[in-house]
Amino acid sequence: GKVLVFPMEGSHWLSMRDVVRELHARGHQAVVLAPEVTVHIKEEDFFTLQTYPVPYTRQGFRQQMMRNIKVVFETGNYVKTFLETSEILKNISTVLLRSCMNLLHNGSLLQHLNSSSFDMVLTDPVIPCGQVLAKYLGIPTVFFLRYIPCGIDSEATQCPKPSSYIPNLLTMLSDHMTFLQRVKNMLYPLALKYICHFSFTRYESLASELLQREVSLVEVLSHASVWLFRGDFVFDYPRPVMPNMVFIGGINCVIKKPLSQEFEAYVNASGEHGIVVFSLGSMVSEIPEKKAMEIAEALGRIPQTLLWRYTGTRPSNLAKNTILVKWLPQNDLLGHPKARAFITHSGSHGIYEGICNGVPMVMMPLFGDQMDNAKRMETRGAGVTLNVLEMTADDLENALKTVINNKSYKENIMRLSSLHKDRPIEPLDLAVFWVEYVMRHKGAPHLRPAAHDLTWYQYHSLDVIGFLLAIVLTVVFIVYKSCAYGCRKCFGGKGRVKKSHKSKTH
Amino acid sequence: DKLLVVPQDGSHWLSMKEIVEHLSERGHDIVVLVPEVNLLLGESKYYRRKSFPVPYNLEELRTRYRSFGNNHFAASSPLMAPLREYRNNMIVIDMCFFSCQSLLKDSATLSFLRENQFDALFTDPAMPCGVILAEYLKLPSIYLFRGFPCSLEHIGQSPSPVSYVPRFYTKFSDHMTFPQRLANFIANILENYLYHCLYSKYEILASDLLKRDVSLPALHQNSLWLLRYDFVFEYPRPVMPNMIFIGGTNCKKKGNLSQEFEAYVNASGEHGIVVFSLGSMVSEIPEKKAMEIAEALGRIPQTLLWRYTGTRPSNLAKNTILVKWLPQNDLLGHPKARAFITHSGSHGIYEGICNGVPMVMMPLFGDQMDNAKRMETRGAGVTLNVLEMTADDLENALKTVINNKSYKENIMRLSSLHKDRPIEPLDLAVFWVEYVMRHKGAPHLRPAAHDLTWYQYHSLDVIGFLLAIVLTVVFIVYKSCAYGCRKCFGGKGRVKKSHKSKTH
Repeated sequence: GKVLVFPMEGSHWLSMRDVVRELHARGHQAVVLAPEVTVHIKEEDFFTLQTYPVPYTRQGFRQQMMRNIKVVFETGNYVKTFLETSEILKNISTVLLRSCMNLLHNGSLLQHLNSSSFDMVLTDPVIPCGQVLAKYLGIPTVFFLRYIPCGIDSEATQCPKPSSYIPNLLTMLSDHMTFLQRVKNMLYPLALKYICHFSFTRYESLASELLQREVSLVEVLSHASVWLFRGDFVFDYPRPVMPNMVFIGGINCVIKKPLSQEFEAYVNASGEHGIVVFSLGSMVSEIPEKKAMEIAEALGRIPQTLLWRYTGTRPSNLAKNTILVKWLPQNDLLGHPKARAFITHSGSHGIYEGICNGVPMVMMPLFGDQMDNAKRMETRGAGVTLNVLEMTADDLENALKTVINNKSYKENIMRLSSLHKDRPIEPLDLAVFWVEYVMRHKGAPHLRPAAHDLTWYQYHSLDVIGFLLAIVLTVVFIVYKSCAYGCRKCFGGKGRVKKSHKSKTH
Repeated sequence: DKLLVVPQDGSHWLSMKEIVEHLSERGHDIVVLVPEVNLLLGESKYYRRKSFPVPYNLEELRTRYRSFGNNHFAASSPLMAPLREYRNNMIVIDMCFFSCQSLLKDSATLSFLRENQFDALFTDPAMPCGVILAEYLKLPSIYLFRGFPCSLEHIGQSPSPVSYVPRFYTKFSDHMTFPQRLANFIANILENYLYHCLYSKYEILASDLLKRDVSLPALHQNSLWLLRYDFVFEYPRPVMPNMIFIGGTNCKKKGNLSQEFEAYVNASGEHGIVVFSLGSMVSEIPEKKAMEIAEALGRIPQTLLWRYTGTRPSNLAKNTILVKWLPQNDLLGHPKARAFITHSGSHGIYEGICNGVPMVMMPLFGDQMDNAKRMETRGAGVTLNVLEMTADDLENALKTVINNKSYKENIMRLSSLHKDRPIEPLDLAVFWVEYVMRHKGAPHLRPAAHDLTWYQYHSLDVIGFLLAIVLTVVFIVYKSCAYGCRKCFGGKGRVKKSHKSKTH
């Protein structure tokens, strides 16, 4: 079949690319739709890249992203950080929205896509643009995502999400919460609504304009046939799910290649102490000098060989055991038996690579879901979380020594690893199956819950409860009135006497 | 690995047996715990049986099952129907309880079970004897369940909004009108009562055995649920990660027809055959009803294969062949199968779906009415009320599903959706049983909801707390405003007040 892929830029694309490659291997044609200016999305031989013009340059886009990441390393109070973070998110979503508007207003491209008669759209709904396009083209969609902020994913799947035991995004809570934590968990989404309102409402008007009727974002997203979530219940907390939600966490750590000569040499030279892999992800290119020196100092104090993926200026105090590289084969290195620990920003890809290779982690979450990811691993005793802003060289040193020398971390991560890898079907195969399923059956309407056809008060049965209450109250009222009437009849005199007596004393 | 199986006698055993046989072929050592008096729990090369004494004999067992099956044909007023259904079910359910009671008090069997170091326990939790036993033996457990008689929210903290998840016995679809939603809401409340009626006895039994207060839902928390569910057949609804859907395990294998049946099918000519079975529970239909049915069957051109153990109706037509047993799935899988007359038990429905044969459904008890409703709303069958239907009704229903193309198209669509799956349900069932044995349970799939009280679960305490804060703030603001106003317009206010009190 013909698949139209509308990816999210950044690390999200990396695992979606594996699915596209597999689809191509199985004889499907994929067209990847991306803005002219991209970071990770490049032309490859297993898909056709279709670009559309956008009103910004590669340089401008990069600078914007860099500025955003820099803020993460700046210390400041809570309010300042929150405001800055929302400013960043605003900036990013403005860029994404402008890119989306350019696509959806590009008449000739839309016409071309329409005439290409695709069988389905594969998209990451964290930018709703792909789904708006699919709705316009009238073809079924499969979503490929980690989450959509502000609980939009649970609204659009009609998946119940009791705030009593399901921690909301960015709260850093576990599934066992104290009373005050549950209060926080309930109030937190309200604060986030502000950011989400900004990011998403403009897609709503864009969709309404394109589809020529008033639609809400949730309604547009609710038409997705299957939701492929990059999660699983070894990593995430158990919670209600819907039949059209499929969990494919760990999809990124299936493909393993042998190490290149360069890295093989590093690993072999590490001796009995083994190696530690250190990467803060592809988004972070430069760390402030002071922080980088602190980190370098801590790394110098442990006996392991450090492989640090870092593109910034070389810290002057870098110890002999630390090797700076511009890029490293993270999953392959973690899969090596000599890997002792993994220092990560705890993005979901990295976490899954840590889990499936069974390497304990030292986590320095930076933004987004990373704090929550770190919390999950910490509660399971498979890693230690550090606050990258506040940590000292000693903290990092201690954390590394703890996860390497304290046997329980290795045991816990190995247990998680064995649970995670024990599955009836590999996540990549599962993802491909559901994509093909949607193509074969032109969607999956039988998996769409009837809840979508109810209003919110009907969904919660408020009309039924109200009706029953009205009946009960009416009955109580009638019974009371008739009793009162009966009483008056029986003890009529007495009652009247009492009454008159009362009014006199008053 | 060693697996202890605590089965439920009757048709439930049929799908469990298939999984057990498959597990045995994969080299697991399996012990099936059976009451010494039973119907279907026979000897097998796939497993060892361990029997325990029960306080009834085969005669009583057979009588109870027979009257249970045949009572469904007794006429009664619709108002009394629920009560009749309940009483009728209790004929069998009571016996399950007696059997459980004598098992849990039989020290010889219990010590045998304790001494055998099992790795896991596989049971049908509809009658929770195995559930209690798993707790007693401290074994991780796997349940095979159809989701009846009580909804999933009782068993796994699975949310189940009454607004679009129809309750059992209601015969509603997932799109309900206001009165239906009202009835569904009330049915949900009654379900709690039913749960109490069915299971409070077992809680007492469990408390005796475990020497502590036991609530059944608490025993259910740590297990994995294999549900005979499929969302081609069921309505989409919220589920939990520890629920695995294996609907349709029973129609995987397709054997060759025996010479006898092969001959019947070949002789049917271009019109093909219709398969008719009301399940293993019904042995005898009242004569008048049976003659009505026989008459209707005689009026269609297809060859009828009717599984019936009762007296042969005198007006049986030539095209109808009575048999004591028939290879239902194999017959339905034959290209000449035109229709399937069924009591719409879940096994039969799945066989109909996977072979793509339109159905005429005569639901009798339990979840069968709801099953029939599901197939009817999907346009894959016609439902008849077995008590009220006439020969004409049955004839028309048969002609409709056979001649109206839409029924065949709909069931073929359901069939293709149902069979399009990443992994066969039987393999999935076996995988998860082995998973529980390998990992000694699946505690990471247990939702934290089990550790909350009901008001915590619904965040009522949090809402109350926030409301209290809001009200306090509003109260304080109001009071301070009032105080401020009094200060500012003090004279005026006091005047007004005194003025008021005077007039009073």
